[in-house]
Amino acid sequence: MKGLAGWLLGGRLVPLFIKELTQLGRNRRLVVMLIVPPTIQLLLFGVALNPEVTDLRIAIVDESRTPQSRDLVSAFAESGSFLIPVQYASTDASTKALTDGLADASLVIPRDFAERRVRGETAAIQLVLDATNANTAAIAGGYAARIVEAYNRRLAGQAPAPARPLALSTTVTLLYNPGLQNSWFITTGLIGTLLVLIGSIVASGSLVVEKETGTIEQLLMTPASATEIIIAKMLPLLLLLTADIAVALTVARIVFAVPMRGSLALFASAGMLCVFAGIGIGTFVATFTRSQQQAQLMAFFVNPPVAMLSGVVTPIEAMPEWIRPFTWINPVRHFATISRGVMLKGVGLDVLYPNVLMLLGISMVLVLVSAWRFRKQFG
Amino acid sequence: MKRVLAQSRKEVRQVSRDRLVLFMALVLPQLLLALFGTALSLTVEDVPIVIQDLDQTAFSRAYADAWRQTLTFHVVELAPAAQPVDALDSGEARAAVVIPQHFERDAIRGIPADVQILVDATDANTANVLRGNAFGVSQSFVRQVRTRMAPLVRQDVRLWYNPGRDSKKFVGPGAFAVTLALFPPLLAALAMSREGEQKTILQVYASSISAHEYLMGKTLAYMTIATAQWAIGVAVLRFLFGMWFVGDPTPFLLGTVAYLFCSVAFGVMVGAAIPNQAAAIQAVQIVGFLLSFLLSGLIFPISNIPVGIRWISSFVPARYYIELARDAFVRGGGWSATWHIPIVLALIGLVFFVRAWVKMRRMQVPA
Repeated sequence: MKGLAGWLLGGRLVPLFIKELTQLGRNRRLVVMLIVPPTIQLLLFGVALNPEVTDLRIAIVDESRTPQSRDLVSAFAESGSFLIPVQYASTDASTKALTDGLADASLVIPRDFAERRVRGETAAIQLVLDATNANTAAIAGGYAARIVEAYNRRLAGQAPAPARPLALSTTVTLLYNPGLQNSWFITTGLIGTLLVLIGSIVASGSLVVEKETGTIEQLLMTPASATEIIIAKMLPLLLLLTADIAVALTVARIVFAVPMRGSLALFASAGMLCVFAGIGIGTFVATFTRSQQQAQLMAFFVNPPVAMLSGVVTPIEAMPEWIRPFTWINPVRHFATISRGVMLKGVGLDVLYPNVLMLLGISMVLVLVSAWRFRKQFG
Repeated sequence: MKRVLAQSRKEVRQVSRDRLVLFMALVLPQLLLALFGTALSLTVEDVPIVIQDLDQTAFSRAYADAWRQTLTFHVVELAPAAQPVDALDSGEARAAVVIPQHFERDAIRGIPADVQILVDATDANTANVLRGNAFGVSQSFVRQVRTRMAPLVRQDVRLWYNPGRDSKKFVGPGAFAVTLALFPPLLAALAMSREGEQKTILQVYASSISAHEYLMGKTLAYMTIATAQWAIGVAVLRFLFGMWFVGDPTPFLLGTVAYLFCSVAFGVMVGAAIPNQAAAIQAVQIVGFLLSFLLSGLIFPISNIPVGIRWISSFVPARYYIELARDAFVRGGGWSATWHIPIVLALIGLVFFVRAWVKMRRMQVPA
């Protein structure tokens, strides 16, 4: 133990560490890069990715033209989910409106609508949804079902015969995010994506610069070993990027009012593990490249899968089954689960330990493999 | 014209020799397209739910079975003594159905029995879809049980253009447009800024080629490469996504030429303005990718973007091309639905090109 402490504190590590820290501190562009892009991306993603389905444009073909049919049309108009319905003379015209993208849905009320209703028979209406966007269509269909349901209930109430009340009512309670704020979902996950991506860019950048300018040879000529050099490279980055966790958290809390219901310490440690994973990826990439521009192009191979197969923007449950196991080796996926658990659900380590352990394992493997490759290249 | 062709021939040959760039031009976009098409879906299936049956009667079990029969949900067992909220806390289930005591008795007497459904709303969109599905399950159960109480108004829903609600049909054309907004400008910007960085641009100045010929040569070369990427992309859409043109493809083909011009011209503009390859890559990434990804209606409709930043999307070419591709591959509206798009794209491209030209012309010494 004494040997390890002596090696850590008394040896060459401390001066190297100080050298790296001063170098990073002098780099103004780096400081800007740590603050500006994550802030902008959090804001853009949080604001722009809004799944709300409102203001649906509905085309109406009223073949019945009776008070009863107009009553139904106004039920759609008053719901708030649809814009003021636009009347079309024929189904041909409404079909054209749908094909040209001028309407999202069309409602056809058949000629015998009023007669059937007066006779107490079931009157069928036809709702056509533009399902190009499957998600919007699913939600719009749900809205229409609720409108027709409420309409039926109202008619049942008006009926002269003692109408049976519906024997079942359904109350839906939305937990954790009752306002259905998508920004809460996006930002809590995106913080992890940003930490990994920025960590990898900065780490590969700081190594590749030394390779490009040839100063890495000078470092290797000093008595310091390759291991010491790589540790001294990584630690200051870890320190610096921890500040990014604070930046991202501030944006999420202040701009989007994301709650913090659980332990901040757990969130911060998961964030640091994420940064560590990012540094590991960056160092790994750096050992394969000779110039900054090459390192950046390499990132095009690494970043998209890390960002997409994480459940940050779209739910993992919506991915095909065969691809879901791959999300398990993605650090961002585990961070997203942890941060959503801590911030929104308020759960602790007792629930999240599998994700914390996985995140720890992934980042350790990444750092060790990249350090090993670095040593092999230069040691 | 001869100089333009010579310039672009040289450029294409240069690209075909660089294996990393060639890979990025032709293979990587398709990998990304496949990745987006698989990962960017909002249609959830097999969502785990728990059911807490406090009634334990034949009727309540029949109701629980109604949940088991859906494709959207899949019922996982709730550990005895565990509360439904625990299952949501731990993430084992995304929703919980609580059937109250006296469910059967009340239902038969016609007293509304209140079924409670708890939904994990961490993911707002999925929660919204699940909420709609939950109403649907209860309604169809009521309809099944009380056949004699037929509703007065019944809605028959038809899903057009994408009856299977396959989200690939929505994301596929969009992702196709985004890959074309990323890689062609990236390569063009790299080629332009490399000449600036390595100072080979000075040789161009010294030669007899004029600014517009030089830029046209570059644009033509990268449009050729982008066309190859486009053609492979269409094949990927055909064979991996099962999509093909519905209706008249001419507006799409014409719009494609305008879009590729737009894309490449943007890269040329960035490359002319930033004589540093690393910085040019970042600029293309941020503008070309981030804006095309977020402000183009790729995942959620543009009308949902707050008004304050929605206007930006009017200047994002991908937004128009996504509309055009969705029409060509899914809706089939043809010219009457999309006549304006090729024009808008060509105009935006022209603006990019002219800006690049102004920049280059200023630097060139008059002959």
